[in-house]
Amino acid sequence: MAKTTGKLELRALTKEFGNGSEKVVAVKELSLTINPGEFVTLLGPSGCGKTTALRMVAGFETPTSGQVLLDGEDLSALTPDRRPMGMVFQSYALFPHMTVFDNIAYGLKVKKVSTAQIKKEVGEILDSMNLAHLTNRAPNQLSGGQQQRVALARAMVVRPKVLLFDEPLSNLDAKLRAQMRIEIRSIQRRLGITSIFVTHDQDEAMSLSDRIVVMRNAVVEQSGTPEEIYRRPSSVFVADFIGRSNFLSVAEVKKGASRKVTVEASGVKLKVNAHPKALKSAHPHLLVRPESVSVKKSSSSSKSRKANEGVVKNVVFYGNHVEYSIDTPTQTIAAVVSDPVYDEIVPVGAVAKIDFDESRAWLLPSDSAVITSEE
Amino acid sequence: MALKRSGTKYDIFTKIALVLVVAIVFFLIILPLLNILIYSTQPTGSAIITNAFSDVVIRQILWNTMKLGLTVAFLGTLLGFIMAYTQARVEFRGKKVLHIVNLVPIISPPFAFATAVIVLFGRSGIITRGIFDWRPTLYGYTGLVLVLTLSFFPIAYMNLLGMLRSLDPALDEAGSSLGASKWRIFRTVTLPLLIPGFAGSFLLLFIESIADLANPLIIGGNYTVLASRAYMAINGDYDIPMAAGYSFLLLLPALLVFLVQRYWAQRKSVVSVTGKPSGRPTVVTSRLARFFLLSVTFLLTSLIVLVYATVVLGAFVKIIGVENSFTLEHFRYLLGGFANAAVRATTFLALMATPLAGIFGMLIAWLVIRKVRRGSEALDFLGMLGIAVPGTVIGIGYAITYNDPVKIGGVTVFPQVAGGAAIFGGAIAIVMVYIIRSSPAGQRSGISLLQQIDPSIEEASASLGASGGRTFRLVTLPLISGALLSGLMYAFAHSMTTLSPIIFLVTPDISILTQKILAEADQGRYGNVFALCCMLIVLIMVIGGLINLLVRRFQVSTDRPLVTGR
Repeated sequence: MAKTTGKLELRALTKEFGNGSEKVVAVKELSLTINPGEFVTLLGPSGCGKTTALRMVAGFETPTSGQVLLDGEDLSALTPDRRPMGMVFQSYALFPHMTVFDNIAYGLKVKKVSTAQIKKEVGEILDSMNLAHLTNRAPNQLSGGQQQRVALARAMVVRPKVLLFDEPLSNLDAKLRAQMRIEIRSIQRRLGITSIFVTHDQDEAMSLSDRIVVMRNAVVEQSGTPEEIYRRPSSVFVADFIGRSNFLSVAEVKKGASRKVTVEASGVKLKVNAHPKALKSAHPHLLVRPESVSVKKSSSSSKSRKANEGVVKNVVFYGNHVEYSIDTPTQTIAAVVSDPVYDEIVPVGAVAKIDFDESRAWLLPSDSAVITSEE
Repeated sequence: MALKRSGTKYDIFTKIALVLVVAIVFFLIILPLLNILIYSTQPTGSAIITNAFSDVVIRQILWNTMKLGLTVAFLGTLLGFIMAYTQARVEFRGKKVLHIVNLVPIISPPFAFATAVIVLFGRSGIITRGIFDWRPTLYGYTGLVLVLTLSFFPIAYMNLLGMLRSLDPALDEAGSSLGASKWRIFRTVTLPLLIPGFAGSFLLLFIESIADLANPLIIGGNYTVLASRAYMAINGDYDIPMAAGYSFLLLLPALLVFLVQRYWAQRKSVVSVTGKPSGRPTVVTSRLARFFLLSVTFLLTSLIVLVYATVVLGAFVKIIGVENSFTLEHFRYLLGGFANAAVRATTFLALMATPLAGIFGMLIAWLVIRKVRRGSEALDFLGMLGIAVPGTVIGIGYAITYNDPVKIGGVTVFPQVAGGAAIFGGAIAIVMVYIIRSSPAGQRSGISLLQQIDPSIEEASASLGASGGRTFRLVTLPLISGALLSGLMYAFAHSMTTLSPIIFLVTPDISILTQKILAEADQGRYGNVFALCCMLIVLIMVIGGLINLLVRRFQVSTDRPLVTGR
């Protein structure tokens, strides 16, 4: 079901804490338009400003400058309780003195919904989230996953135009986290509520989002679909933050006839896609994900090896894949070979031949170039 | 992430609450203090202050006050620590009973101690003369130290017990796994970690003992301290500026020490928060240490029990130690007209003040922890002034300020509330004093509880559409109702037993029980004193119990973990 309301615009949102010499810029001119029903994740290391940005949207922080607009209406003057938004907190923040039912009914009671209607709506959401058997429990009698579901139900039952998630899964164990990701996404899709999700976990961001906004030091580093962010990162930082990476130093960059660029890395010529700024950068890096590196046994000895061969430093066998780290003359390369063939794993100390999948490689500007070009 | 959120605009509820709190604090404590300052600049007042160190008499009074404060603070902290350490680290039977006995002195009328100690250990004391044929002079420094230490050590006890219990037992375990003996761990780990607690307790006891008025009046003899001298200036010299001068001399060290104590208390929170304690605290097993700790504990506890036994027995016999025959004549006399009005007035006024003080304290706590950003320290300090300023000073300040209508530029901004000519015979001033003296306890417990409650619980309420006032009522208040209850209980008990500020405010129409006790003690009618103390204790227990029941009915159980996540 496609919604037409719930378009959220952040305009040059800035937040500074403290003053004078102790002034810290938490968020710097964050501009972002989120379409109705879109699921956007703010991703970044701790201290990058993502939570502050979310709290400004919710109204818990007053922006130093900039605006938050919902369907064209400026929310700046509204306190959190007047904004049509639901929030799910990292600590769940369930009211410890109320039952599950009362927790979920709270927002409806505040809105003066009739008792019968409250009963009906809470009952429905409890059923849909498999919480019906917990109706009269107190929050401290619930498991972490159940508390999380109640918090989600409580935020959604008031039918907010926007749902805000502040690292809601970080207190759960890995298995439950994966399960809740799927649940959150399917409910959000079904109801079509515009959502902002804050996390520092790249798996969470990749699996949940329509769009990921990577933040670093108070500014947006890159914004794009999970695939774009993974395959076409705009900087070494983004590439490194999302997934594992090999950054190969390249020599001899040549612009080809097509959009592709010819580079030489580890003694091999590769035709690769490139970031527009990469060609202007003094020291571009070639991003090759470990799973795009193939590894074969080589007959060379460690002394007679060629430029695209290296000595295996470490091998870890995980069953469905093998992880290598291989020392080449120039650098150490990480490689992941999935579904390895029995008896073909290259042992530690042996020489391996490395091949890069040029169709999945990506030429990046070095970070300093990105920063100077933005300023 | 900081616990307090910065950046939200104040909602209307917060603004109203702030204005209200500041106005109340102004009239209940700031204005009387300002008047003390103003009056102390008049000739007889400024003479006291400027000659404080040159005049032999004033210097002696100053020295007496400091000496008493330091001795009681030292002994009380030491005793409090021994009792707390025994409670926390020694295993023996009857621990819980002991704990309660140690806390009783906090809520009992101070005269109970002074009079019982005179009866037991004085010149013709039941024990000193009766058993040892020894006739010591108790009136003066010795008696005061004994009585004040007994009265105030529970403050240090509670303070240090809380710290001892919050110390992570893993620290002890780490010490012993590194090869340290128990004694060495005690010296090098436990004691250093408790230093802020020692300092805090010492300073609190110092403030309490220099501020005390009741005991110096009963057992002080010729040993004059600032509080009793200021009282004499009003009731003997009839010189208000002189009283203001002595009040100023008392106020200065009290406030100074209070500020230092707050600094220490803040350091304490840094030291003692060591995460979730795991494991069990180590127990003292050394026979020598056990013997020492248990002996001190036993002696002190017996002394407290003995004192209360004396109070109860003394109320029901003719003259305890002299004529030990059972009689109800003390009660017959008191309830036959002498104390009826005082019982009614005291109970009624304390009951009026109790909920107001409780809610006022909670409101300040909530503003300080959750709402006010800049100046929350100052607000917290303002709220605590009622307990930081000695009762004698408050009483004199009130008498100066409220015996006439407060006028600014000829316009009455506050009516006359004290003195016989005031409305309700001066009862309002007494209620005001009760409130400002009692609310700090609620404020403190509210603050420590609020600090433990995840702020996002309140944010969740706001994000679900509840306004500031509604969130306070539906979420915050139920969560801090435990602290509210203890605040209310304390407020009531404290109001019923307070003397020093009240003594300046009683009028022919409104007499107060504690003032009646003082009058009887002055006359040496100890049987009546004991009977009055018993009545006071029973009143506190019965009404305190009723308050407890009443609040519990509306309260949700707070035994659930309030801290989730983070």
